[in-house]
Amino acid sequence: MIWPKFKDWIDERYDIAGLKRLAKRKLIPQHRYDFLYYTGGITLFLFILQFITGMLLAFYYIPHIDFAYESIIDIVTKINMGWFFRSLHHWGAQLCIVFVFIHLFGTLLVKSYRKPREFLWVTGFILLVISIFFGLSGYLLLWDERAFAAVRVATGGAGALPFVGSFIKIFLRGGVDVTGDTLTRFYAFHVSILPVLSLLLIGIHLLLVQYHGMSTPVSLEKNQHKEEPFFPNVFYKDMMIWLVVLGVVVTLAILLPPEIGKKANALAAPPEGIKPEWYFLFMLETLKFFPGTILGFNGETIAILCVSIGIFFFFLIPFLDRKSNRNERSPVFTVIAVVYILYFITMTLVGFFN
Amino acid sequence: MKYFIRILFAALTILSFSFLAFAEEKIPVFPEKPVEVYTIYASLAVFWFAIIGLIVVIKMKLNEIERIQKLGIDKEDPHAHRLE
Repeated sequence: MIWPKFKDWIDERYDIAGLKRLAKRKLIPQHRYDFLYYTGGITLFLFILQFITGMLLAFYYIPHIDFAYESIIDIVTKINMGWFFRSLHHWGAQLCIVFVFIHLFGTLLVKSYRKPREFLWVTGFILLVISIFFGLSGYLLLWDERAFAAVRVATGGAGALPFVGSFIKIFLRGGVDVTGDTLTRFYAFHVSILPVLSLLLIGIHLLLVQYHGMSTPVSLEKNQHKEEPFFPNVFYKDMMIWLVVLGVVVTLAILLPPEIGKKANALAAPPEGIKPEWYFLFMLETLKFFPGTILGFNGETIAILCVSIGIFFFFLIPFLDRKSNRNERSPVFTVIAVVYILYFITMTLVGFFN
Repeated sequence: MKYFIRILFAALTILSFSFLAFAEEKIPVFPEKPVEVYTIYASLAVFWFAIIGLIVVIKMKLNEIERIQKLGIDKEDPHAHRLE
């Protein structure tokens, strides 16, 4: 009895039926690459999961150099189900970044970035950068020796950039070295600045998807293909995929809970075999290609500069790929996309098994 | 022989204590009590059964929707008479 009354009460005030009609009117093309549409939905779901588990962890985490590490041990050992939510947050983050990459590389291969969707690419790319920075800032919050050393290397790498590198390094660290100020700063980034920015960008990204509709690959654009309504068909499929993803995250969280190392000590030598998070490995392996000095210049600076130029070119692809913008096939940019993807995967694997 | 055994025993004792002293204390990131471990794995199995069950229900619902859509009886008839 209460539910129909509540439904009427809402219907009198808001046009829910209109929203339903709108969802039914939204059509999703069906073709052999349509599985890529679901990668965006999975990323969104993992973002939501991260927000929820992150809020739960924030109740108990203490962002202070003397208590951060101890508070995480308390979360894992004393708080009811604390170990599970920490592990869920860890694996949710890993899978979220994996799916952001899959979504981005999928977009690159089927050229969904082409006119008029350039701004969708821009917001998606910024969301990838934000996700990576989410990962880096969250990694330091553990305040163990591995996290400490990895953040020191990552922020030190940013410092090698010419002109702005020193400013970026000091801005990120809150000083010349990784200290308690860095922890406070990274905590602020992780729980306030980055969530607000990501919510804003996700909102814009979703609005743009609704505005432009779903993109179809150039090769299939001229073919007649079937379409199905977003609601309820695609929505139900999304639900099924989200359930599987939830199951995978929960299973990983239970079977492979992340370890906690020794407490960070700025004066101690970094532990052996230190590696950054997997999404930085391709960069680390690239740096190894470069010698210490090249024509009298610092090799690391040149390496960081080359990587930055590569990433900047990647970002500009929608504006450079003129053929795709005219809805013509552009094999050159397909080759470029494949090279980028293969390079990223190979270097990450090399870094992982090295 | 006696001295050798004593020295060996002393060396082994010192070594074993030194290993214990330098052994890295691992922080338990997963409950260690057997009953808790059993409960967690049993819950995981139930969780997967629930997920599979929900997927089956959603899939059946989706099949029904698609069947109705194929028949074309899901659309509203704009000329249908309204009940006064």
